[in-house]
Amino acid sequence: MKILAIDTSGLVGAVAIADGDMLLAQFSIQYKTTHSEILMPMLDDMCRKVHLDLSSIDAIAVAKGPGSFTGLRIGAATAKGLALALDKPIIPVPTVDGIAYNLYGNEKVICPMMDARRNQVYTGLYTFVPKMPEGKSMERTFDMQIIHGQYAVSLDDIINEINTLGKAVILLGDGVPVYHDLLEKNLKVPYSIAPLHQNRQSASALAALGAKMAEEGILVSADEFAPDYLRLSQAEREAKEGADHKKDNRKSDIKTPGIIRVRQMTAEDIDDAAALEKLNLGKEAWNRKQLLDAMTRDDTIYLVAEKAGRIVGLCGVQNVSGDGEVTNVSVAGDCRKEGVGYKMVKQLLERGRGLGIENYTLEVRKANAAAIRLYEKLGFVSEGVRPGFYDEPKDDAVIYWKRN
Amino acid sequence: MEINKNIEDDGVIFMSIKDKENADKENTNQANKGGDVTILAIESSCDETAAAVVRNGREVMSNIISSQIALHTIYGGVVPEIASRKHVEKMNGCIRAALSEAGITLDDIDAVAVTYGPGLVGALLVGVSAAKAIAFAKNKPLIGVHHIEGHISANFIENKDLEPPFVCLVVSGGHSHLVVVKDYGEYEIIGQTRDDAAGEAFDKVARAIGLGYPGGPKIDKAAREGNPDAFTFPQAKIGDAQYDFSFSGLKSSVLNYINQAKMQGQELNQSDVAASFQKAVVEVLAGHAILACKEYGYNKLAIAGGVASNTALRELLEKECAANGISFYRPSPVLCTDNAAMIGAAAYFEYEKGVRFGLDMNAVPNLPLGDRERRYHANKN
Repeated sequence: MKILAIDTSGLVGAVAIADGDMLLAQFSIQYKTTHSEILMPMLDDMCRKVHLDLSSIDAIAVAKGPGSFTGLRIGAATAKGLALALDKPIIPVPTVDGIAYNLYGNEKVICPMMDARRNQVYTGLYTFVPKMPEGKSMERTFDMQIIHGQYAVSLDDIINEINTLGKAVILLGDGVPVYHDLLEKNLKVPYSIAPLHQNRQSASALAALGAKMAEEGILVSADEFAPDYLRLSQAEREAKEGADHKKDNRKSDIKTPGIIRVRQMTAEDIDDAAALEKLNLGKEAWNRKQLLDAMTRDDTIYLVAEKAGRIVGLCGVQNVSGDGEVTNVSVAGDCRKEGVGYKMVKQLLERGRGLGIENYTLEVRKANAAAIRLYEKLGFVSEGVRPGFYDEPKDDAVIYWKRN
Repeated sequence: MEINKNIEDDGVIFMSIKDKENADKENTNQANKGGDVTILAIESSCDETAAAVVRNGREVMSNIISSQIALHTIYGGVVPEIASRKHVEKMNGCIRAALSEAGITLDDIDAVAVTYGPGLVGALLVGVSAAKAIAFAKNKPLIGVHHIEGHISANFIENKDLEPPFVCLVVSGGHSHLVVVKDYGEYEIIGQTRDDAAGEAFDKVARAIGLGYPGGPKIDKAAREGNPDAFTFPQAKIGDAQYDFSFSGLKSSVLNYINQAKMQGQELNQSDVAASFQKAVVEVLAGHAILACKEYGYNKLAIAGGVASNTALRELLEKECAANGISFYRPSPVLCTDNAAMIGAAAYFEYEKGVRFGLDMNAVPNLPLGDRERRYHANKN
């Protein structure tokens, strides 16, 4: 896959061409000249130097936001113009995810920070989780796990969140030098700052992450792509203020509608997750405390699926001496048949390998045909039945295993 | 001119403007005759996202406008950030529609033209970035156009016989200029506003008398019901520059009158105020324009810009031109608003002169009219 990547979200203006595993070219400038003057000549120059036939590109990856509003628009309008003329799709890469991808394979907490003015940063929390391969190979690949998806937040809040996680963190991004003193004073965990070759927006990281996203089918047409600013314009903000000031802060601003995103469950998700459980399972549902206890253990992984800022699925696994017991799988009624369950559980199984889980098991109501189809699609095989295990209504539990 | 309108879910009005004359010869649109120059033009300097395909500077093959005006009404004026965001969303759709209505593809065009100033910088940048990307991807020449030169060139579209030299009165929300168009693309500004633009004064007075935004069309409409001689508002004359305008004194005088009336509990006759204010503006504009034609010895006068669609201004100029033996040219109201067809018309004459812009073209929010230096500024690609 050949990808042209463009990032003009911050002070760095960068373009790259990646062809499969090869970085064919990358130009990057962090200087006082404007993106508008620099971007196209830089792109032109890069393409000429590698004799690029533009029509050979498969997709255009662009930092979709957050970032400088004007910078995002220059990148977006350019990408859309190119995509229109070349008839190619756009890969909308979340800017902060792209910055975090600079540190591929790092198992510490990764926290990119972009200065968002008004005492805020655009940030997020990430880490890389090793994926064990089938068989005996020593080769490892890593999945970028999103602990907290990109958002606009006050510096105090992100510092609190890092301190709550309690793990060593790597900081990067143009917000770090701006807030260095505050970070130094208030961070209670060991932290380090990424060096210059990793610490800003990078078109090659964008291309690498973009390739992954494209494989997952996260592509949009040139016409529908628009930046994700994470913030309303000042006029809209002022017009809205007073009405729903409190509600507005996080949820509605952050997420892209329509795209299902799977990430690790956090304490903030517990209420939504418990409500979803209750709705789907009634009496058998886990309550807040059970979910919180299960989530915070170190032998479990809990994931949620999020769509348009709303929790639409959750699942969890516990490692019992190498066997993974899938304890919960729940998908919101209006989001079934959209592949939420498949996407979520598949990730759960992959991430479970990082905990050392080899085989997986779960129980499911015999009458739940949809769930059974899902598990069988994921490679689970029925190995037995517990008659009359479930109440209200009475039903047998089918025991499934996925053995390696 | 025939306009097809469609209001989209987000309140943006999508318009396709068809030139009836061209529609009749639609089949000729398909094939590019030898020597024809077909230009894709883009405009995004304020709150209209627009794209058009223009052949040989005067033949509009398609003219698409996506107007956000409804979105800005609640804020009482254009909000730059909202406008810029909408431009990004609407640009591709407009370009696609312009190409498809013209019955051509990007491969058939000879150049990409775009407004690069003056205007709102964030808004301009969207069009400029899109135009550069398309020109680059399709390896086509790129031509930057001055927004007001575009407005002036709108006259070439409907008046096929109009040729320079002539005098042009350019009046819009951001501009009040009296210009001598010496040749295609050669402009001499002989008069301009010292303070507010005419359109700006319309907006402010409209707001003060409760008519709301946009002021121009609202005052025009209200004035039809009112008595233009109900009040006498002052018409400023600039001593040392007889072609310059000043509208801030007039505006203040209207605002003072409104305040006084309110304080004394008098009922405000919106229509009379609108009509009297409009008369004062229009008389100054027309007076300067006619004087310029006489003094400079030109027998052709054209008008351009948003305020050029004002009924009273058109009527007065028609009358005055007839009385003074001057031919009067004006675009249809729809070509007076911001559109890309006019940009395509202006670009054609630049194209013919060999003007080409480099990929480092930037948006210039305060671009002066007729600035020859900037346009040759980088062409080293």
